[in-house]
Amino acid sequence: MRITAYGEDALLVNFVQAIEPELNDKVNLLANKLRNEDYITSMIPAYCSLTISYDPNKISFNDLKNTIEAIDLAQEKEQLEKRQLTIPVCYDDKFGIDLSALEDQLSITKDEIINCHSSTAYRVYMLGFLPGFPYMGITDEKIEAKRRDNPRKKIEAGSVGLAGRQTGIYPFDSPGGWQIIGRTPIQLFEPQEKIPFLFQAGDLVNFKRISSDEFSEIAAHIKEQTFNWKQIYG
Amino acid sequence: MADITLEFIKTGLYTSIQDLGRAGHEASGVPKSGALDSRSARLANKVLGLEKDYPVLEITLAGPEILFHQAVDIALTGAKFPVTLNGKDVKRYQKIKVPANSILKFGYAKRGCRAYMAVAAEWKIEKWLGSVSPLGFGSHKLKENIINQNGQLVHFSTYNESLEAQEVKKRINLNPIKRVRVAPGSEFDMLSKEGVASFFGKAHSITQEASRMGYKLATELKLESNQNEMISSGILPGTIQLSSAGNPIILLADAQTVGGYPRIARIIDQDLDSIAQLKPGDKVWFSLADTVRK
Repeated sequence: MRITAYGEDALLVNFVQAIEPELNDKVNLLANKLRNEDYITSMIPAYCSLTISYDPNKISFNDLKNTIEAIDLAQEKEQLEKRQLTIPVCYDDKFGIDLSALEDQLSITKDEIINCHSSTAYRVYMLGFLPGFPYMGITDEKIEAKRRDNPRKKIEAGSVGLAGRQTGIYPFDSPGGWQIIGRTPIQLFEPQEKIPFLFQAGDLVNFKRISSDEFSEIAAHIKEQTFNWKQIYG
Repeated sequence: MADITLEFIKTGLYTSIQDLGRAGHEASGVPKSGALDSRSARLANKVLGLEKDYPVLEITLAGPEILFHQAVDIALTGAKFPVTLNGKDVKRYQKIKVPANSILKFGYAKRGCRAYMAVAAEWKIEKWLGSVSPLGFGSHKLKENIINQNGQLVHFSTYNESLEAQEVKKRINLNPIKRVRVAPGSEFDMLSKEGVASFFGKAHSITQEASRMGYKLATELKLESNQNEMISSGILPGTIQLSSAGNPIILLADAQTVGGYPRIARIIDQDLDSIAQLKPGDKVWFSLADTVRK
């Protein structure tokens, strides 16, 4: 663990700089441990780092650094909440607009890309880029994809994309450069009235392949507020 | 409670409704947002005796033309625009009594970049996660709090309590060349010696790529090694990060919450407001904040 000042009222905790579940666990454990301290103003958990803003009138950089270094993360492990979510995705060409190009780029068939993408559980390493956008990984190297050279001006909400060895979902219409392989009818942004975001860092996510008809059905239920949100958990 | 309506005959270049933002949701990827020159926003409210985090209008470079359907008191702070009320010049930093059916017309900013307009009435607008500030990108969320259509209406109701106008003395610095204080960022050490010398040793021009998300500077700085992409990590407003082309970018309130570029320095909070008053072509110098000198 390496702690450096980040301006006058923030610091950065860097763990070993690698993308690994155990390191990301440490980030979330540390964030949980500090969350309710009154000197904390905000925290940004990322892959293997935690950015902490604090009130310098309540705690000094050195005191906070010492406090963090004294926390035994190994002992905190059981307290980490792990949610499992299953996200339905339709990989039809009308949604997976980059699948054809990826077949050529990766020299494998669409079905292989889809099977590969939907057969592994991914971890949400962090949220960012857009509010509620989950950075998930690590994808199999068979579907490691370069970002598009020319980002699109508009990617539809729910679009599922690949970039490097990561996969993500656009929470709302937005410009973006990820390679789009499908779309989920599930809302990531304000899915229910009191929960603004579907995902949180540390979640485990499976993708389930659905047909275009199933997509329409789920979308209709969500629109009419008759969707049973519990079915995507566990 | 009577209604008050403001009609934006012309929107101006970028006019939005802002308060002091929504800190605390960065972990979900939500930027803080809020008035970029928060000091001037607070002062506009103070002039009218309103709460400091009350919504204000943030007006950028080319201002709007507003028809006031009903009478209301307003106050202007921040950048110096030519502003007329029914053809007569109005002054900043004092209460302005706007009669019904008046036209308030802004020109182009003469000094500074952003003006703030407080209104002594209850804004009838939506809040999300504790703030009225719109998300500065694709989302539909609070989109109506960006004034981007000529003819757009903003509604208010009369303020219930009596307000006591307050005198305001200290105004924001509007010089086109500014010196701001920085603390070293978490990757300051990645700068080469030459890079450090240019960072502190010369004025940096603001390029045309300047928005509420950030200001790109024209300077190119060198790193110790060519490897400048890192695993994405948190970024905070005021951070100066170095793009892959070597240009420093000052990140502002609407910036993303994570990024993968070296964070070479961070402008101290007290000096960040004055950055919002710089416009493309203006210059900024950086010096090390006293508190971090050893």
